[in-house]
Amino acid sequence: MSPAGRLAFVLGVMGVILVAVTALALFVGSAGLSPQAVARALAGRAGAESVESIVTLQLRLPRVVAAVLAGGALAVAGVAFQGLTRNPLAEPAVLGVSSGAAFGVVLAQIFGLELSFLQALGVATFAFAGALMAAAAVYLIAVVPGGLSIQTLLLAGVIVGIFFTSAITVLISVMDYNRLGGVIYWLLGNLAPIPASSLALFAVLALGGCWLILRSARELNLLALGEEAAVQLGVDAVRLKRRVFAAAALLTGSVVAFTGPIGFVGLVVPHMLRGILGQDNRLLVPTALVGGGIFLLAADTLARNIVAPAELSVGVITSFCGAPFFVYLLRTRYRVSL
Amino acid sequence: MAPLVEFAGVAFGYPRPALSREGGFSLTDVSFAIEPGEIFGVIGPNSAGKTTLLRLLTRVVSADRGEIRLAGRAIAPMAHAELARQVAVVPQDTPRPFPFTVEQLVLMGRYPHGPGRFFENDEDRALARAAMAATGVLDLADLPLEQLAGGERQRAMLARALAQQPQLLVLDEPTSHLDLRYQLQTAALLRQVNAEQGTTVLLVSHDLDLAAEVCDRLLLLEAGRIARIGPPKTVLQKDVLERVFRCPVAVDVNPTSGRPLVRVAWPSVSGAARGG
Amino acid sequence: MIRALGVVLAALTLLIASPAAGLTVRDMLGRDVTLPLPPQRIVSLVPSVSEIIFALGAQDRLVGRTDFCDYPAAVLGKPSVGGMVNPNLETLVTLRPDLVFATDEGNREDTVQQLRRLRIPVYLVHANRIAETVDLIARVGALTGREADVSRVTGDMQRRIEAVRRAVAPFPRRRVLYVLWPDPLIVPGRESMLTELIEVAGGTSITATDGEAYPRFSLETAVARAPEVIILADHSTGASTAGRSAPEKWKRLTSVPAVQAGRLHSADLSILHRYGPRVPEGIETLARFIHPEAFP
Repeated sequence: MSPAGRLAFVLGVMGVILVAVTALALFVGSAGLSPQAVARALAGRAGAESVESIVTLQLRLPRVVAAVLAGGALAVAGVAFQGLTRNPLAEPAVLGVSSGAAFGVVLAQIFGLELSFLQALGVATFAFAGALMAAAAVYLIAVVPGGLSIQTLLLAGVIVGIFFTSAITVLISVMDYNRLGGVIYWLLGNLAPIPASSLALFAVLALGGCWLILRSARELNLLALGEEAAVQLGVDAVRLKRRVFAAAALLTGSVVAFTGPIGFVGLVVPHMLRGILGQDNRLLVPTALVGGGIFLLAADTLARNIVAPAELSVGVITSFCGAPFFVYLLRTRYRVSL
Repeated sequence: MAPLVEFAGVAFGYPRPALSREGGFSLTDVSFAIEPGEIFGVIGPNSAGKTTLLRLLTRVVSADRGEIRLAGRAIAPMAHAELARQVAVVPQDTPRPFPFTVEQLVLMGRYPHGPGRFFENDEDRALARAAMAATGVLDLADLPLEQLAGGERQRAMLARALAQQPQLLVLDEPTSHLDLRYQLQTAALLRQVNAEQGTTVLLVSHDLDLAAEVCDRLLLLEAGRIARIGPPKTVLQKDVLERVFRCPVAVDVNPTSGRPLVRVAWPSVSGAARGG
Repeated sequence: MIRALGVVLAALTLLIASPAAGLTVRDMLGRDVTLPLPPQRIVSLVPSVSEIIFALGAQDRLVGRTDFCDYPAAVLGKPSVGGMVNPNLETLVTLRPDLVFATDEGNREDTVQQLRRLRIPVYLVHANRIAETVDLIARVGALTGREADVSRVTGDMQRRIEAVRRAVAPFPRRRVLYVLWPDPLIVPGRESMLTELIEVAGGTSITATDGEAYPRFSLETAVARAPEVIILADHSTGASTAGRSAPEKWKRLTSVPAVQAGRLHSADLSILHRYGPRVPEGIETLARFIHPEAFP
């Protein structure tokens, strides 16, 4: 089967899974609505002020959309960072980029920006800036002539992540003690319902970032030959790296701005997809978009319901899955030689 | 016939601080031409400028002075993709890590001929298969490159370059990591490609045997300047080699091919030194 | 005096109300809240408010609480919507509240905005002083139609507080260090109600002018200010030792008058962090620590 054919097939299967998980997420929740009630609300046949309408359309549906967008964006950002650094362990949280973005968001909130549309744009800008700063810091620390040293990259990511997380705690404890609890909760990742206009903005940013990376997918493959060889094949390596880097930072920043930092999606999903599809980024990027959505939506549905009526943060679930997965990868497939 | 490659008064220096251990060097006033259809070798000691020459030719770096022309056209204003359609490079080492299969690797060589295409088309795939067949790696097509032995990897990399359908094939130290058997195989493959498809070959090597046997003409570089250029017989001469390589050599003639055979003149092992 | 203030405020609250079916009130943070009808289904995200609702006898109108609402015991019979920081919106919505009580100290602004977007009226409360607590009781009374009970509750509070004042009045004020959290050392500052409670109980908090609500403090400075009474809040519950007050750590500071005189107390003082009808109980506890001689 040609690559295009395989892509279409896998996307088709994943699309079905996505629909199934979406249905599950919409029908299951603390409010204990019957499936018929939810269906009524979705079809628009329930009263606008009825419990099922409010819960389904104003609480669950935006949350589902946010989860799919965030998961897809994070997975694609993971693929992008992995292609750039030629290291399958690279992803926004591991590289400290999420923390940089979170720092940007907290700074924005201190300046009073919240989630209404224009302000959301402002928050996203701060997040993007923070993400870029963190990513640039990691890159500069880890770059050696000939490329990026894997060990240094991971260490740099940890350090940059710690730095920005500490900076966040300092900001909050200095500025406003009362909000400390709330911010710490937010730092775990949180898929609360977002107003529709902001959700639209989130969608534009996330899909835009994914599109930028998809367009560069073929060239990203060629980077694996080494930068010099890629140039000799006609790839504008410098511009490519900048473009993909910025797009991945944009994706990370958007997710953090709207849902808080969520880790490990960009690690787990691309790795599982590579097992099925191989290394071709042209196949990985679109499937990561859908696969990430499925993964995060499933994680969030679990987080919402496992200790009902309390709610776990979705970041807790992804970390509990992701951290052992990371260790497994480190110890088996990608053993770094001393 | 017009030359395929022309270097005219090319000078280049790496920006300080220097990238090489010897403290930075430059190419000074390098002018030569490569004729279409010939196998051209560039030899010289390390850091004489061999790899720099390659980099200039493929525009990884740009000349400070002078002009480089390909088929009569200056390469400086050319887009990288356009240059890549005419010049293919087989690098010294295979990239690591490299998680793709042989076929995926070879297909990468098709990029310059269709950078706008997202997926390769049927023609690309056919040409890739032909290139793999030419270098004898077709049955390894679905294997990851990293699982191949050294010689097989080299052939796969060569296939990728051939898939580019270049007018000029450039090889950087093609035999440096290979077993003797594969060295022979590579040399034969180069001659075959050159003969069957008329591809001009530019070969950079410190293996003087390979250079002598395979190349039509040689360019001997010394500290960034041309020491001598011409057929192997004229270039591989004792006095010039001793001056450039700064060690005693002996030049014989290969009885089978009639080409010069260079060897290091090892000092005799005296009984006094060994005490017996 | 405080009682009168409470009644006046309650009346004012009602005056702002429009004569038609809906009423608009101003919450304790100055924001207007529009209630289409007098609230019948109240969700309280604030443990202190849950206490107040029960004290006023309005518990029939309470349909939801948080996990942290634990007094009186009967409140546990009401459904919980989760934590204060992360209440479950779905559960909350299912309870169909027509009024939600929230605070800016403990609930997230994000939650408040979510509720507003869902068009659920949110009434924000904030009480850092005894007077504000009385005001809060009056407001809750007005909103729940239990105005008549307000004066009973606040009058009782007032009497008990006066009794404590009288009991400790003859004795010189003692310098008090209140340790909210041992490590890092966190103490009550200007904006904390604890500072006022200590003052009513016959002491002076040595951290009264430091920082806003609950600043961090250095042990050195605490020792240098030579408190005569040290009160340690113990947060450990049962098997868990997190938040244990660790009095033995303080016993080593033999230069401190409180340690020399043996006036080092450790107790579960969560009651002091509620701003409701149990405030006098907290003050009585504090007074016993600060002036044991006043309560033979």
